[in-house]
Amino acid sequence: MSYMFILDKRKCVGCSACAVACMDQNDIDVTAGDRPFRQCFTLESGPNPEDKMTFMSLACMHCEDAPCIQACPSGCLKKDPETGFTIYDNTNCIGCHSCAMACPFAAPSYNKEGKMEKCDGCLTRVRHGLEPACVRICPFGALQLVEKEEYENNLRKKAAELIVYSSLKN
Amino acid sequence: MKSYAIIGFGCAGYHAAKAIRKNDPDGKIVVYSDTSDPPFNPMLSTYYASDMLSLEGTFPFGSMDEIVKDLQLELRSETKAAHVDAARREIELADGKREPFDSILVATGASAIVPASLTENAGRYFLMRTLEDAQNLRNYIEKENVKTAVVIGASMAGIKTAEIFYRKGIPTTLIDGASGLFPLAAYPDVAEMIQEKLNDLGIKQIYDAQVAAIRPNTVELSDGRTLEADCICLCIGVHANIQLVANTKAVEGTEVKIGKGIIVDEQMQTNVPGIFAAGDCCEGKNLQTGETSVIGLWANASAQGECAGKNMAGKTAFYYGNILHNITHFMDMDFISLGDITLPGEHRCFAGKDFFVEVCMDADQLNSMNIFGQYRISGILKSHLTKRLLHGDDNLTPAQKGMLLAEGLPAELINLLGDKKS
Repeated sequence: MSYMFILDKRKCVGCSACAVACMDQNDIDVTAGDRPFRQCFTLESGPNPEDKMTFMSLACMHCEDAPCIQACPSGCLKKDPETGFTIYDNTNCIGCHSCAMACPFAAPSYNKEGKMEKCDGCLTRVRHGLEPACVRICPFGALQLVEKEEYENNLRKKAAELIVYSSLKN
Repeated sequence: MKSYAIIGFGCAGYHAAKAIRKNDPDGKIVVYSDTSDPPFNPMLSTYYASDMLSLEGTFPFGSMDEIVKDLQLELRSETKAAHVDAARREIELADGKREPFDSILVATGASAIVPASLTENAGRYFLMRTLEDAQNLRNYIEKENVKTAVVIGASMAGIKTAEIFYRKGIPTTLIDGASGLFPLAAYPDVAEMIQEKLNDLGIKQIYDAQVAAIRPNTVELSDGRTLEADCICLCIGVHANIQLVANTKAVEGTEVKIGKGIIVDEQMQTNVPGIFAAGDCCEGKNLQTGETSVIGLWANASAQGECAGKNMAGKTAFYYGNILHNITHFMDMDFISLGDITLPGEHRCFAGKDFFVEVCMDADQLNSMNIFGQYRISGILKSHLTKRLLHGDDNLTPAQKGMLLAEGLPAELINLLGDKKS
């Protein structure tokens, strides 16, 4: 089984509750300058009043073929076979930032000792049948953890429905 | 049952073995290694030398026993391969013994450059490439009362070696024949910026200085200057280990093509069918130039090894190439270089709160970039440059744009790089 995080941008209001839940779950010391593994930010499509504003919530995407795993010179990163999350053991992390340069989503952070830390998908919670902290707290259900196969099947189903619909319409 | 030979067991060799075993559970995989150590990462040598990492920590894939058991390998440790006989499909070992193979991977890595002219009648000097190099320096610093050090070569390995002495409070001088730091990766003004910071930290630097000789506790420069030091390190770069297939004749009499490294195609195969090469010993495709070149990076070796292993096991896999890129974290600073800095274009500079970015644009196309002081944006920008070269997609995703803005990258630069449609 393999999971993925989905953000429904139509539902996200930029409240940052997910980032706060991430801080709480992972004991992030913001007073020391540390940041949560989940980052929230806004994106404006332009400077005019009619332009759109999009809210975003982004953390490790747990890529299937995660480039950070290959990039780590110390072998600190790996895939969790049970969940598909990209997990780590930073005992031998040398703080070289190679994983940061490999990540297209700026997911890796470094703690006060200079060792890498990142979102592990709330592995312990998920293994015990709970939702990740950020997903659980999201008041509008914008952030979800879905089973990958199920998600892809749904996409395929929707695509098939669209094809049928289009052919009938024509 | 197919028989595979892997010569050299570093990152590329390990990943090839893993890929072969995954795709051919019954094949015979023989690994020839000139040490008995498990795969070692040269990048970790300075961390081991400075006692920041345990010996076990320098072996990212675990112990040799575990690897041999997991991948069911036949290991020939402490065994030097002398020659590949492509026509007979045999490896000739240094002791004259010959062993057959169906397909072979040359993953012999690279070695530190040691010019004979410098080291003739030399005093003691240290390299920084292998585990043995790291052990030698570590032991020396532990046992001897090192009061001054000279590091020859203002390379990535050179700066990390200088950092070992800096962390121990040992006055250090960095010397290079080029006119500035990181001559292959840094634009001159960025190099100058970092040089000033190093100067502030007390690292002496001498550029445009040719080293004439290394004498006992003394480095002689060609302009007559001499520098005395208790510890001298030579970090002037590496060369690909290509000797194994030099003069290897294929059945038809053609030789394995070699440039600065062993030249391979996108399936990591040389011009001789059945002979593959991967990692620091090979020349794969440079996405920016379209030519082959040695891109000696850990992640590159990993991807190349995996690709070679799959193809050796009868699957079809491609590795389309890479760009020159590097991140170096030293003395609490980050320097990042993306792309080939020798490519032409207009240079533009942007300053963030605590960082500096310089880009080289040819028309509206990014050719190369230096970032000083901001590692978090490096992955997004590297992915952006690689994506354009691989897929022709020149736009940053909304999430990437949002992250770059949140990290303080000026909007003007973001628009310049990846907002071509708006």
